[in-house]
Amino acid sequence: MKALLPFLLLVFLGIACSKEPDITPDMLDSGTFFDPSVYEPEKYLVSKAIPNPTPEQAQRPVIIACHGYSASTFEWDELRTWLTIKPDVYLSQVLLGGHGRSYEEFKKATWRDWQAAITEEYSRLESAGYKNITLLGSSTSGALLLELVQSGYFTNRTVPRNILLVDPIVLSSDKSLSLIGILGPMLGYIDTEQPKAEDQYYYHFRPQETLRELQRVINVVRKELEKGITLPANCVLKVYKSKKDPVADPASAALIYKGVKTADGQPVEVEMINSDLHVYTRLQLRDKVSAIDQLNQTATFMDITNRAMR
Amino acid sequence: MPIGLIGQAMDMRTRIPLIQPGKRRRKRFLVTGLVAWLTATVAFGQANNAVLDVGIRLQKTVNLYTENGFTAQYTNRALAHQRLYFGLSYVTSRLGTALNSNAIKQDNVLVTASYYFLPNRLIRPLVRVNAGYFKADLGSPIFADLPNSSPLASPEIGLCICPKGGLKVSASIGYNLITGDGVDGPGTLYPVFGQASITWNVLKKKDH
Repeated sequence: MKALLPFLLLVFLGIACSKEPDITPDMLDSGTFFDPSVYEPEKYLVSKAIPNPTPEQAQRPVIIACHGYSASTFEWDELRTWLTIKPDVYLSQVLLGGHGRSYEEFKKATWRDWQAAITEEYSRLESAGYKNITLLGSSTSGALLLELVQSGYFTNRTVPRNILLVDPIVLSSDKSLSLIGILGPMLGYIDTEQPKAEDQYYYHFRPQETLRELQRVINVVRKELEKGITLPANCVLKVYKSKKDPVADPASAALIYKGVKTADGQPVEVEMINSDLHVYTRLQLRDKVSAIDQLNQTATFMDITNRAMR
Repeated sequence: MPIGLIGQAMDMRTRIPLIQPGKRRRKRFLVTGLVAWLTATVAFGQANNAVLDVGIRLQKTVNLYTENGFTAQYTNRALAHQRLYFGLSYVTSRLGTALNSNAIKQDNVLVTASYYFLPNRLIRPLVRVNAGYFKADLGSPIFADLPNSSPLASPEIGLCICPKGGLKVSASIGYNLITGDGVDGPGTLYPVFGQASITWNVLKKKDH
């Protein structure tokens, strides 16, 4: 019996690892449909819609809006709608690498792949001559953008005027994420149990490989913040953080505040928002939306736009 | 310097000396008390084969900070034949990750109870339960609404290398039963940690 134990253990681990989620065709995970930006990039990316801007167009503000882990361009659709009253501001909704396609594509992608979609759009806009670029990131994109600054990506490039982070994650609220390296292989994946309506915009199942990538990138950024991140000259950063964010621990804002300084050594701006939503700027498909939620969204959209137009 | 300012400085000096007489008396009282307590403990301890391990505790939370500090634990023959120890530990990120960095400064004070198995062996398994208090300094009034303190409760399991002398080197893995999500508890209180302690029995009689 003793000799059988290692074998039984291997069989148990094998079964645990081979668990596949029960994906239905109406889920984004299924691969039967993709994020709409894959089919019509010109509707989502300024670099595709206006690849050769006139000198006047090149001076207009462009916001590159990047979504969070397991989400899609849907996360910033309400900003697009809101910006119809500000036609002078362009919006690029970037689909992160590995996102908005299928469970298998998601599973294969690393956080570097997620980030590459942002730098590709930034680089295309820069090459086309756009001068006034604002980077806007929600949740995990907050961490991806901070890493981009620390990596020196903007050295000898057009510097973004603003880096605006909505509910950025550096610490996860769910502390079991810190154990994903140990528990992940046994879990295989996590079922989000999100409302059915969200299944076509957010992956329903989260492969443990992607959760490990998430833990990896937030660890990298946390350590970079501990050492200190300095913004490029003429670039400002603002954090908008939900006080009761149930996904990205609100203390993430404290880590960013302590860890990031402007080029002249000044602290960055942090606004704590009276909300219990994660990415409080996305209200579509929420179970309950209060008047305060609406006000928070409008105030933040207005602030983002004003900063981009500055 | 204008005469007025010299007068003001002297005035300040006479009114607020570096250590005020009251504080000095209190300090002397504390030092005298500590020396008396140590002398009594050593004398009582040597008479009762007591052990007072004093040393350092090095702690690392999985995927967060290193927090280091001090630890002390006490036992005597009456406490399960020196298998049961009661102690006090203090670990802080100030002596770990937050030392010369932007990490959150946080402090943990723990009251501990440990049980060492296999007495007189070189390597002794141990179990420990900790209870205590955690406090984090989030660094700005902007974060005044966020929770920054919490009670602590954690079990530990590990091994101790206990040579015949007064040295003990132990390592264990612990699990914080109370963690924080940044809404109902401090966001930098994580579940799993590893710790290593190096202590010396200050009550050990000198071998002649």
